[in-house]
Amino acid sequence: MNRYFYIDAEGNQKGTFTALELKQESVKRDTLVWTQGMEQWKRAEEVDELRYLFSGTYQEAPSYPAQPVQSPGGQASYAPGIDEKEQRPMPKTWLVESILVTILPFMLCGSFLSLLGIIGIVYAAQVESFYNRGDYVAAAESSRSAGKWTRIAMWIAIGWVLLFVIGMILIFGIIGWAGFSEMGNMIEM
Amino acid sequence: MAALFVFYTLDPAEQPLFPRCPFLLATGYECPGCGSQRAIHSLLHLEFKSAFRHNGMVLLAIPYVLLGVYLQYFGGSKRNPRLEKKFFGRWSALAVLLGILIFWIGRNLI
Repeated sequence: MNRYFYIDAEGNQKGTFTALELKQESVKRDTLVWTQGMEQWKRAEEVDELRYLFSGTYQEAPSYPAQPVQSPGGQASYAPGIDEKEQRPMPKTWLVESILVTILPFMLCGSFLSLLGIIGIVYAAQVESFYNRGDYVAAAESSRSAGKWTRIAMWIAIGWVLLFVIGMILIFGIIGWAGFSEMGNMIEM
Repeated sequence: MAALFVFYTLDPAEQPLFPRCPFLLATGYECPGCGSQRAIHSLLHLEFKSAFRHNGMVLLAIPYVLLGVYLQYFGGSKRNPRLEKKFFGRWSALAVLLGILIFWIGRNLI
């Protein structure tokens, strides 16, 4: 069975553990792990043998700085450097959606809805800033908020449109009915 | 499709059925979107001049929105990541908001 090293939240290398033993350790999806035969440190979720650890819930790991890590096995060489940007994909920014949900209501006379979209844009813009700064937790947090506000704006906009569609149908119906009865009156006269 | 048909056959300037801008009703000032339904009606009749008169920003907003929809929902951001960065990045978001703000103030002053 493979024995794994991993890097804990403080950036310390721990090991070795078997895949089963890792269950007792605080290994998260994006915890970096290494075992014999791997070229690079990998996120735990990318290792087939460890995937069972995350079949349940998703847990956010606190961010830690990249550091060179002593290669296991007592050799003098260093493990491959950890490129954080490659290791952690940027969370969804929601920029396109939030911009769309800000512009579209103007065309539907729902300008007040755009305020919600603007909140979405502000959060969406933060995602990339935090990510570039290396603050992955804050980036994920902003991404969540951006998504939340964008979706709120979207659903209210959909409701708004539905309201008008229903309103239009009703008015059409009334006009049609009124026109019809007027004609009836004229015929009577 | 149905919406396009409605906007083509009925003139929002004459029909009372189309939604009215709550901001215009409340304040008497036009919001950045006022006139866009009339503009769409004009556009569908290929009357670009009157579309521009009703709401010039719609002429810019429609291609922009279509671009966004393409990027987001038709795989555009995978095929053209640079396009997304350019038109839907952080600075473009700011530019869009500023543009709307300027248009908003400008149209009520002139």
